[in-house]
Amino acid sequence: MAELFVPQTLDEAVGFLESHAGSATPIAGGTDVMIDLRTGGVRTEWLVDLSSLGSLAGIDLDGEQLRLGALTKIRALEVDSRLARRATALVEAARVLGSVQIRTMATLGGNLCHATPSAEMPPALLVHDAVVEIAGAAGERSLPLADLFAGPGRTTLEPGELLTAVRLRIPASAAGSCYLRQTVRWSMDLAGVGVAASMEVDGAAIVQARVALGAVAPVPLIVPEAAEAVVGSELSPATALEAGARAAAACSPISDVRGSADYRRAVVSILVQRALRIAWLRATGDWPEGLLAPINGLLAEEPA
Amino acid sequence: MTVTQETNAAEELRVVGKRLPKLDAPQKVTGQTVYAADVHMPGLLYGAILRSPHAHARIRSIDVSAAEQLPGVRAVIHAGNVEQRPYGYGQDNIPLKPDKVRFVGDEVAAVAAIDEETAHRALELIRVDYEVLPAVFDPFESLAQEFPLIHDELPDLIGNVSMRWDFEDGDVDAAAAEAAVVVEGDYSSPQAAPAPIETHAVIASFAPDGHLTVWSPVHMVFMYRKELADCLGLDWRHITVIQPPVGGSFGGKIDIDPHDFITVMLALQARRPVRLVMSREEEFIGTRTRQPIHIRLRTGADAEGNLLFRDADVVSDNGAYNGWGSHAMLVAMNTITSMYRVPNSRIRSSVVYTNKNYGGSVRGFGNPQATFAVEQQMEELADALGIDPMDLRLRNANQSGDVTPQGMEITSCGLSECLRIVREQSGWDERRGKLRERNRGLGAAALIHVGGGARIYGSDGCGAIVKVDDSGQVTLITGASELGQGSETTLAMIVAEEMGVPLDAVHVINSNTDVKPWDVGVHASRTTFVAGNAARMAAAKARDQLLETASELLGAPIDELHVRDGTVEVVGAPERQIDYARLARRRLLREEGSVVMASAFYDPPTQKQVDHRGNISAAYGFGAHVAEVEVDPGTGMVRLLNLWTAHDVGRAINPMSCEGQIEGGAAMGVGLALSEELVIFDGEIVAPNLHDYGMPTTADVPRIVVNLVETIDPLGPFGAKGVGEAGIIPPPAAIANAIADATGIRPRAYPMRPWKVKEWIDTEERSHVIENGSPVDG
Ligand SMILES: Cc1cc2nc3c(=O)[nH]c(=O)nc-3n(C[C@H](O)[C@H](O)[C@H](O)COP(=O)(O)OP(=O)(O)OC[C@H]3O[C@@H](n4cnc5c(N)ncnc54)[C@H](O)[C@@H]3O)c2cc1C
Repeated sequence: MAELFVPQTLDEAVGFLESHAGSATPIAGGTDVMIDLRTGGVRTEWLVDLSSLGSLAGIDLDGEQLRLGALTKIRALEVDSRLARRATALVEAARVLGSVQIRTMATLGGNLCHATPSAEMPPALLVHDAVVEIAGAAGERSLPLADLFAGPGRTTLEPGELLTAVRLRIPASAAGSCYLRQTVRWSMDLAGVGVAASMEVDGAAIVQARVALGAVAPVPLIVPEAAEAVVGSELSPATALEAGARAAAACSPISDVRGSADYRRAVVSILVQRALRIAWLRATGDWPEGLLAPINGLLAEEPA
Repeated sequence: MTVTQETNAAEELRVVGKRLPKLDAPQKVTGQTVYAADVHMPGLLYGAILRSPHAHARIRSIDVSAAEQLPGVRAVIHAGNVEQRPYGYGQDNIPLKPDKVRFVGDEVAAVAAIDEETAHRALELIRVDYEVLPAVFDPFESLAQEFPLIHDELPDLIGNVSMRWDFEDGDVDAAAAEAAVVVEGDYSSPQAAPAPIETHAVIASFAPDGHLTVWSPVHMVFMYRKELADCLGLDWRHITVIQPPVGGSFGGKIDIDPHDFITVMLALQARRPVRLVMSREEEFIGTRTRQPIHIRLRTGADAEGNLLFRDADVVSDNGAYNGWGSHAMLVAMNTITSMYRVPNSRIRSSVVYTNKNYGGSVRGFGNPQATFAVEQQMEELADALGIDPMDLRLRNANQSGDVTPQGMEITSCGLSECLRIVREQSGWDERRGKLRERNRGLGAAALIHVGGGARIYGSDGCGAIVKVDDSGQVTLITGASELGQGSETTLAMIVAEEMGVPLDAVHVINSNTDVKPWDVGVHASRTTFVAGNAARMAAAKARDQLLETASELLGAPIDELHVRDGTVEVVGAPERQIDYARLARRRLLREEGSVVMASAFYDPPTQKQVDHRGNISAAYGFGAHVAEVEVDPGTGMVRLLNLWTAHDVGRAINPMSCEGQIEGGAAMGVGLALSEELVIFDGEIVAPNLHDYGMPTTADVPRIVVNLVETIDPLGPFGAKGVGEAGIIPPPAAIANAIADATGIRPRAYPMRPWKVKEWIDTEERSHVIENGSPVDG
């Protein structure tokens, strides 16, 4: 049985973690940690409760800069109407994570630091060039989000370091993003494949695009070559198909209870095409503002 | 919607037919219900079981010395230090395995300790030396001769086949030669779990005089008591089985399992009461499952669409032991011969041992598996003939008065009405076959299932006692068991109706084997029909005792008396009246007084099947579903958009409760169809948890439209038939048919998880059709 330490300040938290390196584990919403404790995945003497550090929660949108505190609840992201309009992928990722009960406990920082390959938030953040802010006994540093992940369940955080916030750029106009996933059930399931896409459009041409994948590699992947396939012109079925093919080639899925590697690769290609198409419709104003896409991105008029 | 086909105008019902909440609901939603795992008593120890990590292995030796020495441990048992005998169907099972384990999860040893942690630490100290044997998981491989024998101790077995059941009626080969169209195909189902919210829990306690009391949420308490006694060499007259409220079962708790015997053996050795509660993982690994059934089926029809024959080869993969799960095959057989009018039928079936957790009697018991094959072929056949599938079904529908090839006598049948209702509500005629451009489709499936008991044992009876005390309170003591299906409320309503009292004047007791009259137990959707008839008979007798006294006191003959709200009145002179409480007191307090109490035993007029022939049930239930799906051709994800259901329930004693049973059953059927599976790798259940198992959530189940068709069965209580299992039967077939309508492919197995659907789409899996003797492209 672990003991609970409740720090009053960030410094106190970081100090305690530093002095108890190896025997203390941060706990935010606890939706991963509590299960890990029960299954033996985590053995620890101390749980350091971050939930008292209220200043680490919050959504600040200032022009094109968005800052999300590490303790922000997934539910808070899901219901934020500004994000629904301008960072739709984040909301589409948040709304499928677990259930309402889970989302009300789960935090953004916990989702990133647990480093589950299939986690929902990383792909949606990666397509917004997310940077993570980290606090440690030695001071603060920041990293591109992609560099946070070291492998399944492993991050590059040093013992004693805490994630404090995520910073993103959210273009104010002519931009769109989308997050889609494949699951067995329509809720309360882990992604077999998760795909996020974003783009900025100038006139009729895509000037910048991002494609990111979850659940199909040991870490969440950003796939620049897939995005490049669509940059420079308007989105066409052919460019989207090429992007899908490149994404499928870039990933390295495993076969398990959530599908075979071949199946997942095929689904990556499909979902990348759909996510790009929906992001395109959003960026060009052809998609109703704030309307979320079907979870698998299947639109009614898509041919059989 | 409720459609009543005939009503008996003379019968004016006051309680029966009302939508009433379950009597035990307030207790349950406020958390006051005391389940087995909540039972506590002084000196209670905690039990835990050591299970085999191997799918097939010989036990060379067991060393429990370290476990015995752990402080806090009060008993450590294994086959070497207990007295136990083989049990189960075919005597192929024994609680603690003496020499061989046959699946990952088989029971090897057990511990009782002062707390759970100590018990589990002690398990880790037990050393078992195994000689690992080759294992077989695929039933078809198990049928092959070269595979290792799983039950080499049973000399009469041939290979790994535990049962071979064949049936033939008419001349299938001649019918096949005549058929204009034949469809053929293979249809499979997975190992699935009943997965109730309450995991299994047992408490065993010996009194100083040796009397054993067991608390267990089992359905079949009397059989349980006998099997405990037989296996453990106890005197069954000194065993009381108490059945606490059951937190869901769905068949998973139907009969006795090794952990029941083990808990008693622990209590015996520790000389202290022992409680054993399964973890969620153990519930998946170590309790009974739904057996995979593999069906190769051919159905043929003439050019007009009259069914000519069905021909089936069936393999039921029941796992390491028989249990009653082996008999699911017989229910599958009933459906293959008797769903619709089939003039010629032939079945060759085997129940096969494999090194997996074994099958039990899970809700629907073989019927969803068989219906998946039979009802897909109805639509395949219709499409090949160019006939609407609903027309094909109506043309061949079972009707009242039919006797099926297996001798099942159908006395009330609303199948055609059910088909017509779901056809209309789903917009079938306008929409089926026309939604493919939008990746959508409609599919149907019907069902036949026993609805008036099922005679598998010598008796299919149930006892009831009704008493009225000095307060006028009516108590029903029933043999039946409440599992959450609402049977107590239904039985109370039947008694209230028959006695002429309001519902709140009736209490239902179904506590334990010392108090309650004998009953076979809950299975085969039999409780409303069998226990309901018994309760009604006992209530009528108790009422007659009161009327006899009322007749004396009111000076009017019995046939001029009328009961309303617990008060007896003279017809035409309602001021001459007396209530039940006063009548009961008059009988109690007079000289040579007597209690108002009556008992009844109802055993339906049915036959045990011989050579698979005989009228096994006193009534049969029918129903029809239409499913509408959207299939994502890119990912294979299937979204169920609508489910319309219509069920012939005989009479809805409590329509709300019928709807609940049908909705709940249908939701389970949706899970079977789309997501639920115990994925097994190398004999091990890969993810024994509710997250990965795939039970559907509210996001996966649309609003289910339920229509009740009342055919007023001649033998059912107030015309009611069983409905407990019906809802789960059609969805896998109806959803498969809807996927076929949406995509043109033909699903071959469930659960239809996304990658399987995608694979069928990519490989263009189609129907196999033979027209006038030659294969055609499906
Ligand atoms: C039923 C269920 C369903 C779920 N479904 C999904 C799903 O669909 N998709 C999905 O992505 N996830 C899902 N999850 C996983 C989980 O809910 C999320 O990962 C959640 O976001 C974790 O956040 P938390 O605050 O609960 O983290 P915690 O459990 O508190 O912590 C998780 C890990 O992060 C560390 N940590 C937490 N905060 C910090 C910080 N600020 N700095 C450094 N380290 C930190 C902890 O030490 C721990 O290792 C599900 C979980 C459950 C129980």
